[in-house]
Amino acid sequence: MQSTHLQHAIREGCPNMATFPCEKRSLLKPGAGILLLMILLLNGCAFDVIRVRQEPCKMEKDEAASRSFRLGKKTEITLDTGYTRTLKEGARWDFVGVIPQGDVFKTSDQVFTIEGSNIFEAYIVVSSGKLVGFYLPVENSFSPLSEPLPLEMNELNDVQSVDERGSR
Amino acid sequence: MKRFAWVASLLVVCFWVAGCASGPKFADISSSFQTLQPNQGRIYIYRTAVLGAAIQPEVSLNGEVIGKAVPEGFFYADRMPGNYEILTSTEVDRKLSLTLNSGQVRYVRLDISIGFFVGHVYPVLVEDEIGKKEIQECKYVTYEKPPAEPQKKEPGETIK
Repeated sequence: MQSTHLQHAIREGCPNMATFPCEKRSLLKPGAGILLLMILLLNGCAFDVIRVRQEPCKMEKDEAASRSFRLGKKTEITLDTGYTRTLKEGARWDFVGVIPQGDVFKTSDQVFTIEGSNIFEAYIVVSSGKLVGFYLPVENSFSPLSEPLPLEMNELNDVQSVDERGSR
Repeated sequence: MKRFAWVASLLVVCFWVAGCASGPKFADISSSFQTLQPNQGRIYIYRTAVLGAAIQPEVSLNGEVIGKAVPEGFFYADRMPGNYEILTSTEVDRKLSLTLNSGQVRYVRLDISIGFFVGHVYPVLVEDEIGKKEIQECKYVTYEKPPAEPQKKEPGETIK
């Protein structure tokens, strides 16, 4: 009997034969601890993974093509990052230049930014009457919108550049 | 037990108050600020959130530290027109990029979100009307740059 008890204790790896069956010293097995640590690390990294997709580009200023429009209705945008933005109804958007993806318009009637883990001031890029993405003036890059959005654009005749209208 | 609860509450209040800004309110001091130069723009940076009061990261503008994210505090920077990046660092970096024109005043609010070990403070560009309203109750905080480390003297070099 004593021999069986001893063999059992040795097989279980109990350090103190006298008190066998011994208490488990750790609540977690080493494998579980590593797994938990990995989950925690990955979770920590997740705070920094919502990136705004950007393509470097250079905006050409075309003074002759100056034009403006007023937005006919409020437009809700869901960015590819999952954040939402609203283009205000009645906001005036002024042409500021051209990039390969479309015409770039800027407004003084609202603050407009796009957001991922970081936030970027942005202008809108319009092609064939649709919002196709955003121009980031600080980064000199284009951030596409995966699903172009039709805009209700009411053209304005009183063409006046953003600079002439003055800053906010 | 009651006494313990009372002392704990007092400690919480003390920590809360200690973490907040203590300078003059924007409404009281803003008129004394230097007039904005015609060839410059101004960026106001403020924090209304008291949540996570112990987390007060430095705020840098194009790499230069210009203040700290003190709860209920604000500060400002006048700069030449151009492109700017405002950065806060806790366990992660959070960045805001914005443009600044001559005579333009921009308002940047420092919000806080849940982090893993500590909360994240991130800068948000807000509408002028919102910024003007929210900053009124914030208190002016000054930032003193830590003293520069003395330069190491090369052997044989004389101090000028």
